Amino acid sequence: MAYLSQYQYYDNDGNQPQDANWGSYQYVSLEDIVNNYLLMYSGNHSLVNNEERYKILFHAKRAIQELNYDAFKEVKVLELSVADSLRFVLPSDFVNWVRISLYKNGWLRPLTENIQVLSSKAYLQDQQGNILFDIDGNILEPQYSNIDFDRLTKTKKSIYLNRGHQFDGMEGWCFNGDWYFEKRFGLNTETANFNPTFNIDKKAGVINFDSSMAGESCILEYISDGMEGGDNSLITVNKLFEKYIYAYITYEILNSKLGVQEYIVARARKEKTALFRNSKIRISNIHPGRLLMNLRGMDKIIK
Amino acid sequence: MYICKKDFKMINEVRNTVLSILNKNNYGYISPSDFNLFAVNAQMEIYEEYFSSYNKVVNAENARSSGTDYADIESPIAETLETFLKTSYLSHIGGNSFSAPSITTTGDTAYYILKLITHSTLLVSGTNTVLVPIGLGDSTASFLSDGISQGDIVVNTSTDNAASVVSVVSNNAIILDSDIFTATPENYKIFSQVAKEADKVSVGKITMLNSSLLTSPSNIYPSYTLEGNRIKLYPSTINDYGQIECVYFRHPLPPKWTYITLASGEPVFDQSQADYQDFELPEEDAYKLVTKMLEYCGMSIRETEVTQFGMTQQSHEQPTFSVQQ
Repeated sequence: MAYLSQYQYYDNDGNQPQDANWGSYQYVSLEDIVNNYLLMYSGNHSLVNNEERYKILFHAKRAIQELNYDAFKEVKVLELSVADSLRFVLPSDFVNWVRISLYKNGWLRPLTENIQVLSSKAYLQDQQGNILFDIDGNILEPQYSNIDFDRLTKTKKSIYLNRGHQFDGMEGWCFNGDWYFEKRFGLNTETANFNPTFNIDKKAGVINFDSSMAGESCILEYISDGMEGGDNSLITVNKLFEKYIYAYITYEILNSKLGVQEYIVARARKEKTALFRNSKIRISNIHPGRLLMNLRGMDKIIK
Repeated sequence: MYICKKDFKMINEVRNTVLSILNKNNYGYISPSDFNLFAVNAQMEIYEEYFSSYNKVVNAENARSSGTDYADIESPIAETLETFLKTSYLSHIGGNSFSAPSITTTGDTAYYILKLITHSTLLVSGTNTVLVPIGLGDSTASFLSDGISQGDIVVNTSTDNAASVVSVVSNNAIILDSDIFTATPENYKIFSQVAKEADKVSVGKITMLNSSLLTSPSNIYPSYTLEGNRIKLYPSTINDYGQIECVYFRHPLPPKWTYITLASGEPVFDQSQADYQDFELPEEDAYKLVTKMLEYCGMSIRETEVTQFGMTQQSHEQPTFSVQQ
């Protein structure tokens, strides 16, 4: 792929969207990676030979997925409004979450994951507790379980010190001019949080919130696997990891190939892991400016 | 190595040599028709040896027993093979199926398909309205604004002929590298010159590959299977003539020693006949051809000495390099 001219970079050749190429120089495309690998690391005089391209492609994509999971710092952010359903549907490329926040009155308030369940399935039962089925033998389910119904109707109590708390809105007792609703000493700090709470139901693909989140704006920070919805032309990887990906492909192919001497496999593994460490150090971006910022806080007096 | 055009007729030299050796010891005579039959097989045998020799040379290089410059034994073999390389658009059968190179579609047959190149992006389609000398004219088109550029592929879908864009004269006219539009109205499609190489996949694997989330064929990474004379492209959206270029080693043309018969009944070489065809191998293979022909001739005239002579000479011709295991 050719290098971009300045006009292409800044103005996308006058086309929309204007920002299509901004920052693109940090990345190398999957297409380039596979092409370069086949050209430079595969062939009659190379360790890797007679391998179909789809294997190279597979290992390249696997490497990119692994890097997205635990090496890149490429966190995606999505803001959605939580309606009365108290649900936030996970993004289509969601793999894992980093942080979930409430955005209100100009403040970003990180939320706490509820240690209790917030949602449940339920089966219809008769008076004797027998589960009910339809004529096809399928279990009958109510629209909501009791816990869901209470949560949605804002009657579920919360162990957190937020709006759903059992003492929220209730009078306490006054001592020396201060009101107390539960014991001050021995406070459970884990649940001492005023903000709404959430649970992630990964199988259902939703984040369930408690009732205090209704109508609020939620910001989800999450990581993906970098596969860009299956569009090969959009898959890119940071250049700092380019050499690592070549080493990863070589190792995976040699490791699964019959008759490759163990010392060659070991050499490939060492190269791969060394490059991985180097790349992680590079992308962690440790430089004097950042260290200086940290060191400036060194002499701050902690009360 | 055969790069320059031969300035002599190798087939006549080979035939004269073979006849001389046979006549020398009164072994007999080989008729022109028999000679032509043997010539086809002899040439094919030597052609195939080039591929196996190339493989041996590569192994020798990997064993560090081959050099560069004058010790480079790979390049001459590769260059000889490359004289048989050809690129042709594949004939579209229907759906995502294309015909492998054949006498009726490409004028020759493939010994080995080196690669398939795909052009998956359709830029423009339409119908020509005027005839442009060696070009395409369409008064309703907007070739310039549509981004048509030099090298894009223009296909006459009415006649299944393809050509490349040499220059875009105006929004309504394109100059091509061959005259594929000879009447109006004829339909056309223009595909982007952006080429992707299709990966050959065995028929046994293609179903799994198509089901694979990470590696299923796409326009960037297309695949193909070969079933008989039918090439199937994946993804199946690659389904038009002009979208597939096949780069292949063609079979050498069958050599034919043509002649006129004198009053005495003796055949005399006549290269002016329409079906005349010389050997396509390099000049230095004449010796190999003679020995191969002698081997066949010996079998034909039941003279084992001739066959043995031919085989002995061939054994002297074997490559002297070897790879130590």
